[in-house]
Amino acid sequence: MTFAISLVAVRPFTSPRAVPSGVMDDTLNTTTPTPSVAVLFDQFADGVYTLGFRIVGDRHLAEDVVQETFIKVLRSLDTYRGDGPIAAWLYRIGYREAIAATRKRRETPLDPDEMLEADDRQVTSVEDAVLAAELTRRLDAAIARLAEPLRSAFVLRDIEQLSTTEVARALDVSASAVKMRLARARQALRVELKEYLA
Amino acid sequence: MTVTCDQLEMLLPEFFDGALTAEQEAAAADHLATCTDCRTVVSELEGVSSLSRTHGRLVLPEASRNRIRAALGLDPPPSDTPA
Repeated sequence: MTFAISLVAVRPFTSPRAVPSGVMDDTLNTTTPTPSVAVLFDQFADGVYTLGFRIVGDRHLAEDVVQETFIKVLRSLDTYRGDGPIAAWLYRIGYREAIAATRKRRETPLDPDEMLEADDRQVTSVEDAVLAAELTRRLDAAIARLAEPLRSAFVLRDIEQLSTTEVARALDVSASAVKMRLARARQALRVELKEYLA
Repeated sequence: MTVTCDQLEMLLPEFFDGALTAEQEAAAADHLATCTDCRTVVSELEGVSSLSRTHGRLVLPEASRNRIRAALGLDPPPSDTPA
């Protein structure tokens, strides 16, 4: 079963407006007091879990990434100086934890079907779940096949909706490098998922 | 200002960031209005981002969320049901 979308028919070809950071809200900018760890956990735990799983490829290790990330956030939040978006600061910690966790990962081929459980996915109905099952399997596999530098940039920008600048800060690379990685990642996924994009 | 297919491809990162200048945006729109191939590419790349946004995010399982919250010494999340 295919799950086609028809963007051509419904979207005008004008440049989309700048995408705001979906995981940021007005309470988490640099002009307001630093939020508590509890607030950060509620807002970013799923995002760090997503980043962790996409890098590590193991659900349990991804949970460890979340825990280790927020332990470090707990210990170092008072050193956060507000010199950039807190999302980028937090995802930078998460990214480093995920990279460290890859060293622990057992050397087995990545199989998202076995590693994900139904409650890992945001679905709104049984029908959605059925329609999305094949697509999500293909999407998971395609993302997993991206080289890691492309994958982390793609996850943070296109899934977690950070801005390009925030992604650059999180990964400690230039904005130009992020744009190049995104272009390559999107192009690779476009090829792999073409049948769903018709 | 006009752009070719190759030039449009170079502009795509800024296009998707909504960061084109007004002149670049107008040139891109003009090109896309007449170039089926580029229109398809842009549409499919937008589709990749859209599908990834809607289907690529995972949710930390509730039991794990509660376990980690406890490990961090955070209060349990408020119940969905009023007391």
